[in-house]
Amino acid sequence: MNTLKIDYKNIYYPPGGILMWIIIFLELITFGMALIAFVYYGHQEPEVFHLSRLQLNTTFGAINTVFLLTSGFFMATAVQQFKENNIAKSSFYFKLTMLGGFLFLILKSIEYYDKIESGISLETNMFFSFYWMLTAFHLIHVIMGMVILFWTNYGMTKKNSDTLTEDVDACAAFWHMCDLIWLLLFPILYLIF
Amino acid sequence: MKKSLLFTYGALIFLTITTALVATSIEVSTLAVGLIIGFSAVKFILVAFQFMELKKGNSFWKVSLSLVLGVVLLSILLLF
Repeated sequence: MNTLKIDYKNIYYPPGGILMWIIIFLELITFGMALIAFVYYGHQEPEVFHLSRLQLNTTFGAINTVFLLTSGFFMATAVQQFKENNIAKSSFYFKLTMLGGFLFLILKSIEYYDKIESGISLETNMFFSFYWMLTAFHLIHVIMGMVILFWTNYGMTKKNSDTLTEDVDACAAFWHMCDLIWLLLFPILYLIF
Repeated sequence: MKKSLLFTYGALIFLTITTALVATSIEVSTLAVGLIIGFSAVKFILVAFQFMELKKGNSFWKVSLSLVLGVVLLSILLLF
């Protein structure tokens, strides 16, 4: 097991790795530009955006925020336990992290089912075009994150594990990125119009 | 379990509940939108600096992330 201390102060070694942070910045800039466009169109059609926003379930959105934040807390704890060489405990927190992601997926599926049942689609109006595109892209990231979590947890718990601190850091950074994106999406899509 | 992680988690949940209260109890106005966006910015920074341990990283990453967040949220507030 590699317990080498990483010099995070070095510009080339941010926690999670430089490649992961380049991805994080690209994702945040992409989602950020889409949100700016969303608000721009909302300014053009305030009535449509307000009425559409009222059709979203804010409670589901808020509960999903709690699920992701709780999951993020468990992820940070899992990393901390891994760095202290408590692999069993770290794996336990990895599983709790995945549970948070799974609960998010369930609630999102219920929300999507409600919308489809009500006949709300990508073509309903500009608000819902953004709603479907932004939340679906975020959802794909959550699913990808869960696959990475599962794979990292499997790798670190098997015999003769070669999982490094850098691997766990990178996995955690990707998962937290899903939190960061959601923290921007939730208030702008669900609350401000 | 680190106390700082627990404290951060508590603050994030508190801010989420506060955001929900502001969104439901105050009429949609510039003040309400400013508060909601402001709380989101604080939550974003807490997750990045505490959970992602960016506080231990090089200042370049801290400043860059804060700049991206600032530009996105300021643009949204100006357009609103």
